[in-house]
Amino acid sequence: MTKLIYLGCLSNTRYQETCKNAIKIINYLDPSYTILDDVPCCGALSYHIGNDVELKAHVESVNDWFELNNVSEIVTTCAGCYNYLTKYYAQFLGKDYKVKVIHFLQFLAEPDNLSKLDLKHSGKKLKVSYHDACHLRNAVIPIIEEPRQILNSIENVELKEMENNKTNSICCGAGGGVYSIFKENSDYNSKLIFDQLNRGKILLTACPFCFTALTRIREENKIKKPVIKFEDFIVNIMEGVDPLSE
Amino acid sequence: MNESGKGLYEKVKKKIEASQEEGTLEKQFGDFWKFACVVKTRQHDLRYLYDDTSREFVDKNRDKLIEMREDFVDHIDSYVEQCINIMRKKNFTVHYAKTNEEAQKIFMEELGDNRIIYKSKSNQAKDIGIIDILKKNEILIKETDLGDVLVQLFEYKLPSFQVGPGAHFTEEEIAKKIKDVYGVELEPKAQAIVNYFRSTYRNELLNDVKVSLTSANAISAEDGTIVLGENEGNISLITRATDKHIVVCGITKIVPTIFDAILVTKLQSRINNVSYNYISLISGPSNTSDIQGTSVQGMYGAKEVVVILVDDWRTKAANENLIYADFLKCIGCKSCIFPCTASRAFGNTYASKYGLGPTAIIRDYIHNGIEAAVNDGLFLCSGCENCYHWCPVSINCGEILKDMKKEATEKGLAPPHLEQYKEKIFKDKNPFL
Repeated sequence: MTKLIYLGCLSNTRYQETCKNAIKIINYLDPSYTILDDVPCCGALSYHIGNDVELKAHVESVNDWFELNNVSEIVTTCAGCYNYLTKYYAQFLGKDYKVKVIHFLQFLAEPDNLSKLDLKHSGKKLKVSYHDACHLRNAVIPIIEEPRQILNSIENVELKEMENNKTNSICCGAGGGVYSIFKENSDYNSKLIFDQLNRGKILLTACPFCFTALTRIREENKIKKPVIKFEDFIVNIMEGVDPLSE
Repeated sequence: MNESGKGLYEKVKKKIEASQEEGTLEKQFGDFWKFACVVKTRQHDLRYLYDDTSREFVDKNRDKLIEMREDFVDHIDSYVEQCINIMRKKNFTVHYAKTNEEAQKIFMEELGDNRIIYKSKSNQAKDIGIIDILKKNEILIKETDLGDVLVQLFEYKLPSFQVGPGAHFTEEEIAKKIKDVYGVELEPKAQAIVNYFRSTYRNELLNDVKVSLTSANAISAEDGTIVLGENEGNISLITRATDKHIVVCGITKIVPTIFDAILVTKLQSRINNVSYNYISLISGPSNTSDIQGTSVQGMYGAKEVVVILVDDWRTKAANENLIYADFLKCIGCKSCIFPCTASRAFGNTYASKYGLGPTAIIRDYIHNGIEAAVNDGLFLCSGCENCYHWCPVSINCGEILKDMKKEATEKGLAPPHLEQYKEKIFKDKNPFL
């Protein structure tokens, strides 16, 4: 039986450093998780544009790949993959879908894992804000409390909630393929997210789509506060690196 | 229309460009709208007025509302029948129109020889095509809601916010317009503008209205009471000081009891931050029994109250479980518009002639098909499902829009770039390579 680390196409293609960090954390906590070559795309974007026949065929082909590789469990670092692998795969495949899928944040928030990590930030108290990605808060099993449990467990790190948080959070405007055709959506909404970063020194996100949109807006607007992927932040803390120094 | 995906994409792109250009009407509206949305979705919204925010108010009543609306959709026929029966007993003139066209025909018959109609905002009348048929027949439409009066004054053609359609005009612009149109010099202040309309228009509303048109915030099936909420008093005037009051609305405005109807109306008020200082409960035409106990209609208020209940797409959607069947639960509160990511960013570019936001686009789809919806900016939806989280009856507009996007793709109406993504996913198993 294979326990797979499912990185997601966007991270795997564009954010390889983040992928390495994710693998580092996951394998530190559970070395039996592995990565495989040629992992197929879950198909997230196509749910906005594909018909049911095409989608079912794609979902079945991905499931065939899972079966071929004996995949029984997945921990995914991509918010979009988590949402779609749990929602649509179960919808299209029913009982034929036997893979247990969890998100990286769920994995991290397991009490044993949190105590094994025993995270401490050295130096000045670090105030961070966390952006709730739509893919995570809208999932069949929403991931809302887990990132908060993780952040609250870190010594010397304080979570400063954004004004709009949890199911009330502002969407970065990059989902549904909109980012590739109408960037103006994220121009406005991602900026709004930064505008709410009153007291947090860092904006954390666990979604590569949000990360992409937020990073661009940060650069274009010359915003000083960094946006950091959750995995990278955790590795920084594990290794005693000040996330603000990056 | 017979557009391609590319053609529609370019049209939407052009509208977005206009909305970003300084000095355009789209930009003016967009700036106002962005401000309104941010204010409305903040955590402390209305906390200064009530113990709870409008969101908390919705959350408190959500389960009850969902149960009420699901029950309605499951028993749509019996609720309509119950409602019509009791209304007829209460001397309403009730018509049941199977289609919008039938409703329009009935409406014109009820209008008779009258060439002027005074109307409240009545978004439902737009939806049912009453406004179109009035224009076609060159009936003079007298708006009475100040927002609509301003829209009419400015001959504003772009989609606007259903609740405050003229809220983006500045005091200076309105004062200038009044000077240009009526030759009256006013101080460019809201109070002065209101005073002007009060002094010139109120008398007319009290004395000259023969036929008036409103929709309904809700109708109680149990006792056939129409509930209408408002803050200006225009509805109170035109529903009382008239000969004939015509109510046009979809059958989905029906709720089981008067208490449900008031809850729905109150919720609309809270969500939109419109203080419904007046709530009218209309249970029939004006009457008196003061002379020998004989009931006579038409004392001081309306002599006749005509209700046109319209089915059109509604029972079909329920029976055939169409992709927008969930939309039948909609109570028209508009809570999905403020938190909508696309609406915030694109204002009246993500909109249809029925108004702003996802529900206006779904309405356009229902009435005018998928091409109209794509032209309204269907593909601007990022699927964030904020509409679902904020909806008091948990309608997932995001899912409906997703299904609409699929239909658009099948008909070759999706933006070309998205089509390429799909190819990459299915063939290369990675869209980002």
